[in-house]
Amino acid sequence: MSVASSPDAVAVSGTMDDVPMHAEVAPAAVQGADIKLDTRHVNFYYGDFQALHDVSLAVQACKITALIGPSGCGKTTFLRIFNRMHDLVPGTRATGEVLLDGKNVLDPGTDVIQLRRQVGMLFQRANPFPKSIFDNVAYGPHMLGWSKQQIEAVVEECLKDTGLWDEVKNRLRRSALNLSGGQQQRLCLARALAVKPDVILMDEPASALDPIATLRIEELMQHLKKRYTIVIVTHNMQQASRVSDFTAFMLMNPQRAGELIEFGPTDDIFNRPKDDRTEDYITGRFG
Amino acid sequence: MAAIRTQFDQELAELKSGVLRMGSMVEQAIADSMRALVERDNDLAHKVITGDQDVNELHRQLRERAFMIMATQQPVARDLRLIVSFQHMVLELERMGDHAVGIARAALRLNDLPQLKPYVDLPRMAELTESQVHDILGAVIEADQDRARAIAERDDEVDILYHRVWDELVGYMVEDPKNVQRAAVLLFLAKDLERIADRVTNIAEDVVFLHTGRIVELS
Repeated sequence: MSVASSPDAVAVSGTMDDVPMHAEVAPAAVQGADIKLDTRHVNFYYGDFQALHDVSLAVQACKITALIGPSGCGKTTFLRIFNRMHDLVPGTRATGEVLLDGKNVLDPGTDVIQLRRQVGMLFQRANPFPKSIFDNVAYGPHMLGWSKQQIEAVVEECLKDTGLWDEVKNRLRRSALNLSGGQQQRLCLARALAVKPDVILMDEPASALDPIATLRIEELMQHLKKRYTIVIVTHNMQQASRVSDFTAFMLMNPQRAGELIEFGPTDDIFNRPKDDRTEDYITGRFG
Repeated sequence: MAAIRTQFDQELAELKSGVLRMGSMVEQAIADSMRALVERDNDLAHKVITGDQDVNELHRQLRERAFMIMATQQPVARDLRLIVSFQHMVLELERMGDHAVGIARAALRLNDLPQLKPYVDLPRMAELTESQVHDILGAVIEADQDRARAIAERDDEVDILYHRVWDELVGYMVEDPKNVQRAAVLLFLAKDLERIADRVTNIAEDVVFLHTGRIVELS
């Protein structure tokens, strides 16, 4: 569904000719398009320390949005707000709005379990359960009380979606821990897909993988974005430029809170960034 | 924040300095080739022809260096535009060098024959073209897109002179078949000058691209 994108102060790159422009407010290169996630003036605090300052960003549905920036700029913190992972850290709080299909996930009444089902996550290091390959993917559907037939069907579907089926179909009952690092990461993705999410958050999903396994994950992302909205945090500039449709550049302000500096189509961010700080970062002048 | 790309910046500076060195060599070759015609100096014409090997070698080295920087530094944004522009510029300069050789060869063919006509418009064309080459190298150094656009506009003057020379030489051919050989060689020579000016416009487009990231057509 389409909701109005938020006003913000960041430089927005590009004209995004292929996206119909919308009457309303600024940002977004994604303005007028189908917005899945819309953050408005988000601030985030670890106790008294402010880690994010006034971040407004509209994530387009069925596209890949990359968050880039130096270590400590708040990319991962920002990503984890989308499915309220920060709830697990005592003393943290987020203000502003994070609209998922127009509904603010920061509302106290939000069903967080349902939210995390809808917004899945893939972490830096593959974290399969010490269970069989089958049980890893079946875990979510099983918890949701699906029938055995439904579970078997979804396990096969998700393993096929992640390109693992042909590699593991004859050893589904073997431990997932025996898979290679790249296979484990794809298994974790299959596990996330099994509960039918709308959005997949990826936090440096290929940073521990070799180039071939990385390429497979990236190809998978292109395949999956037809059905899912993907937000990825990456330190790998080439990866961001290769895989994403939109890129957001974040940076720490003098108070050490992360801010959004520039957001726009990836082609523009990597070819013609508007803000000198973006240019300096992507060209390696600081980091 | 601290700069952390000293080696990369040094490699880019060396590449830029190589492009400018090549530009100077080509600028000199164009001037010498025309002087070889006007002063009927065959030695100078031979010098231009043999000197083109140095231009070609420098062209090869710069392309190789640009390729290595791309492979090892994986540049983006302005850095990438800089290297891509330089690659294209050196190609244009190499071709300009070839045109200078064309002029020198024409001079060799004409210098042993009686002069068809006083050279008036051709030296003027050459003067305009040389100044365009000189100025565009300045615009490259400064990465000055406004200057580059202004230089590209001067191509019209060269085109006007080229058409005037063309009409005049065709007139000589019609007038007397004995003129045909010399007039034809001069026509090719004029064409070489006209093409050099066109290539200056191409480099001006590179300067604009370098500055804006947009590929434009200035001709």
